[in-house]
Amino acid sequence: MFEQLIKSIQDKVPATEEELQLCKHYFTPKKIRKKQFLLQEGDVCNRLAFVEKGSLYSYSTDAKGTQRVIQFAFEGWWISDLYSFFTKEPSNLNIEALEDSELLLLDHEQHDYLLKNIPQYETYTRLILQNAYVALQRRIEGTIGLTAEEKYSRFLNQYSTCLNRVPQHLIASYLGITPETLSRIRKQMTR
Amino acid sequence: MHVKQTIAIIGAAGNMGQAIAKALAKEENRLLLFSSNQQKAQLVAEEIKSKNAAIEVEGTGCPVDASWEADIIILAVPYQAEAEIAKKIEDVARQKIVISISNPLNETFDGLVTLPGTSAGEELQKILPDSKVIKAFNTTYAVNFVQPLIDGKQTDAFIAGDHATALTVVEELVRSAGFNPIVAGPLKVSQTLENMQLLLIQLTMKYNYNWHAGWKILHN
Ligand SMILES: NC(=O)c1ccc[n+]([C@@H]2O[C@H](COP(=O)([O-])OP(=O)(O)OC[C@H]3O[C@@H](n4cnc5c(N)ncnc54)[C@H](OP(=O)(O)O)[C@@H]3O)[C@@H](O)[C@H]2O)c1
Repeated sequence: MFEQLIKSIQDKVPATEEELQLCKHYFTPKKIRKKQFLLQEGDVCNRLAFVEKGSLYSYSTDAKGTQRVIQFAFEGWWISDLYSFFTKEPSNLNIEALEDSELLLLDHEQHDYLLKNIPQYETYTRLILQNAYVALQRRIEGTIGLTAEEKYSRFLNQYSTCLNRVPQHLIASYLGITPETLSRIRKQMTR
Repeated sequence: MHVKQTIAIIGAAGNMGQAIAKALAKEENRLLLFSSNQQKAQLVAEEIKSKNAAIEVEGTGCPVDASWEADIIILAVPYQAEAEIAKKIEDVARQKIVISISNPLNETFDGLVTLPGTSAGEELQKILPDSKVIKAFNTTYAVNFVQPLIDGKQTDAFIAGDHATALTVVEELVRSAGFNPIVAGPLKVSQTLENMQLLLIQLTMKYNYNWHAGWKILHN
């Protein structure tokens, strides 16, 4: 139930067995089925989610109801709306399960407790947020500066191990291109 | 649209389990009903769906998976069965609200089997140290859930627990079930609440209230 989380922490900080055990008590284990929501637009995002198993994705919807995919998250990843979590303002995002998933959730109280009482957890969180910031910056820079082909290649590198778990139309939405364009690029690349 | 809260009811085919399931059958809730006889739980789910097809509800034969999916877990089983169930779901109930509704009555209904100085609510918290145990729905009879009015007055329903946000959530749940919620105090107040119901049961039998009886605090 905590394998991926422990691996994620140990990859980043030298946490002791005792600290790891203590951490476990503060996470809320939650199973969620494919197509169920962890967050819906208009709700305040009041928990951070770590993916133990399965996958989720976050997206906004435009006036016509078209999905705009922001992020995918697979085993070992975190997903939430940090803006809404930290400001307690309603979120513009939806977070939906792509597959049946097992999550570990943290609300403000549990998160704050861990930050205050387990220094290694604070370091771990800082590294996670640092990575999230870098990923966001790369995504913005890619979105405004790269061609569709370049964006897709970068996506392939970043998500190489999980590609066949994501439907093509969501990949197209993530890249900000139409499914037809994506299909054309894929054909070109296999040539 | 809001994310629905998932509520697991353990013992959902019993008197209280069914009453609570029907009272919480609302579009904002998703109900997972557990009975050791899955068919019985499915029947309750079907009955709820037949009244309102928009309700998300299903019967299940696995208390662990139901509790794992849940945000709130309601143990609608006899006190004697609570410890066993609690040990099974301990890992997946961490940090979740677990509602204790039981009254630990003895076989002759003239006393409680818990030792003085403790209560069913507090004993459950000992088994589930990482969960937020809240005492609720123990002072209301199952028959009164259909119509929580007695003698024309809305029945009070007392709540006890140590965790402020969990109390607020349960207060809302009790209100949505049709009762007037009263937060009585910390979890140790369960001792009083369980004894109050012992008294009500004794009076109900003595004066033949026919189970249509409940508590109402009169105040200015
Ligand atoms: N009845 C009331 O008006 C009332 C009011 C307030 C509080 N309560 C409290 O609510 C609880 C349930 O009462 P109830 O009247 O609903 O009783 P009930 O009709 O006998 O139902 C209890 C359910 O618990 C399950 N159960 C029974 N023994 C069990 C065991 N050894 N292990 C696991 N599960 C077991 C059974 O479910 P399955 O066999 O289907 O799994 C049964 O359907 C009790 O703690 C009681 O003190 C009752």
